[in-house]
Amino acid sequence: MTHSQPETTKSEISRRNFLGLSFLGAFGVLIAQTLGATLKFLQPVAKEGFGGEVFAGRVEEFAIGSVNRILSGRFFLVRTEDGLLALWQKCTHLGCSIPWDEDKQQFHCPCHGSVFNEVGEVTGGPAPRPMDLFPITIRSGEIWVDTGNPTQRSRFEADQVTDA
Amino acid sequence: MTDLPKKDAFPKDGTKTYSLVELVKRAPTTMIEKGPDNTVFAFPLVALIELLLSLGLGAVLMLMSLARNAPLEEFANPNTTTDPAKAPWYFMGLQEMLEHGHPTLMAVIFPTIMVLFVLAIPYLDNNRQGSGRWFTSERGKKISWYTALYSLVVMPAFILLDTNFPPRELLRGVVPDFIAQVMVPSVIMGIIVLLPVLILWRQKPTAREVMLVLFTLLFTSAIVFTVVGFFFRGPGFELYWPWNMPDGYSPFDNL
Amino acid sequence: MSALVEALTNSRIWRSIFRHGWPDNPLDRSLVMTSNIFLHLHPVKVNRKSLKWTYSFGLGVLSVLLFLVLSVTGVLLMFYYAPAVEHAYTDIVELQTQIPFGQLLRNLHRWGAHLMVIVVVLHMARVFYTGAYKPPREFNWIMGVSLLLLTFGASFTGYLLPWDQLAFWAITVGTSVASYAPGLGDQMRQLMIGGPEIGQEALTRFYALHIMVIPALIALITSVHIWRVRKDGGLAANDSEE
Repeated sequence: MTHSQPETTKSEISRRNFLGLSFLGAFGVLIAQTLGATLKFLQPVAKEGFGGEVFAGRVEEFAIGSVNRILSGRFFLVRTEDGLLALWQKCTHLGCSIPWDEDKQQFHCPCHGSVFNEVGEVTGGPAPRPMDLFPITIRSGEIWVDTGNPTQRSRFEADQVTDA
Repeated sequence: MTDLPKKDAFPKDGTKTYSLVELVKRAPTTMIEKGPDNTVFAFPLVALIELLLSLGLGAVLMLMSLARNAPLEEFANPNTTTDPAKAPWYFMGLQEMLEHGHPTLMAVIFPTIMVLFVLAIPYLDNNRQGSGRWFTSERGKKISWYTALYSLVVMPAFILLDTNFPPRELLRGVVPDFIAQVMVPSVIMGIIVLLPVLILWRQKPTAREVMLVLFTLLFTSAIVFTVVGFFFRGPGFELYWPWNMPDGYSPFDNL
Repeated sequence: MSALVEALTNSRIWRSIFRHGWPDNPLDRSLVMTSNIFLHLHPVKVNRKSLKWTYSFGLGVLSVLLFLVLSVTGVLLMFYYAPAVEHAYTDIVELQTQIPFGQLLRNLHRWGAHLMVIVVVLHMARVFYTGAYKPPREFNWIMGVSLLLLTFGASFTGYLLPWDQLAFWAITVGTSVASYAPGLGDQMRQLMIGGPEIGQEALTRFYALHIMVIPALIALITSVHIWRVRKDGGLAANDSEE
């Protein structure tokens, strides 16, 4: 161990440790890659919602103040005095389908008793936010609802209503 | 190394046929410093016990299966939610908790804390003393029963009070949802859990006794919430007596 | 009689299967445990204290037995069940109405599953209240808690398979809970059910988890768990002073 050269260039890490750590690091990267690829493989090929545009009916079929269930699109078409709203039937609490209670004029979720009014605002129960909306387009009197793009909202606002 | 004289810690005596091989300071195995041998051969005794258990289990299972058929309702329909819609019975405790606070708190944070606590028990109480005996001591037994009794009173009372005077509804629009659904339930739960621990603290408890309190609280509360959710929740997830459910619903439909 | 036993246990066929004689003496009674892959999870000798009925109530053994019952009945059910949303429900109806003993088999599987959850929970409570988690058994407690969680997982994934209203809404509610996890909640839920709502993807995933992934993990961890019981000195009752 008697070197004539000064030991300033000698690294803290020995060659053996360096190679060991490099191997360990490479091995770690390999594991991470495999896990990442597996996760990516398991990730569903994402499509939000469940479908494309659904034809709900013609504007004049829906009376003002009525709440109509469109089964094929899994939403409620609500006609207020200002216009139309498409409310996704899925409860924002835990995903149950919410039926409309005509007598009490409210949505009442059977799972945990969340209550929503006719524009989807929470009036009772544990639901954390109003019912989600689907965008509506009206083409020459026909109502089309895009069930592929549910929008979340924190409160009801007038501009969410589509004029009709 | 080589020029050091070889020193044997426990030199063998040529006239003896036995020698001291090693001194063990702390017991890594269970047989050291133990009383006289109290063991029997596992075969065939243990094998027979296992055979008897399997025969008994088979008989019980067969009787259950003959007595009652597994439920099968109508074909799954995404448009109509059953009323009530319940999770499997062992998750009804969780679903019952969801009634009393924000889902993130009740269904994610609290269960995570519970599982982490249960996993951590042997590291929080790492004293070797007192294992292998039910409740470890007479005092431990008393502590466990008192805690169970406490949970059996406090938890149903909490469920009833919270259902009849839910802070979520009373404070709706008054304070932000975060306070009504996260802060208030957290504080109430914190008090319920800490109260028996503080009472015990004055008795200078061992780690084991603190674990007995916390685990009993957790275990008994889990049973209370599961029983309430499974037996006492009817249509609309309202509270009913199990024998007095409306609409012909029976809690056993959900097995 | 003993001559017959003698002849049998010394025969070349017997000796090729079992590496020991008839277990009526200490040596062969030791070998019967140590030379058998299934029995070697047992110790050769057990302490009388650990055999006391009111100490363990046999809950660990019962958990293993229930797992075996569920494996056998589950495999038999697989012969008549296809995890497709168009088939699943009618397969179960057919199983119950057309197949001899089909209803009985399904009942055994269903009630066995419920019983297993109860027994595993009680087993955990027993281990806790007897202080059997204390050192040197800390790690085995962790293994046990993992097995409890896996038991929940096995039962929960199986719950969806009949594809009736009960299954559909229980799983809808159950998996929606995951989406409240802060941050990646919704991704976690989608990873679990393979899409935004319960459908064919969810059924496929739950089926794979239920019949393969979770049972394999349970079998693996149970082996470690039982082996560790022996390695950590048997049941904790052996360490008690009484």
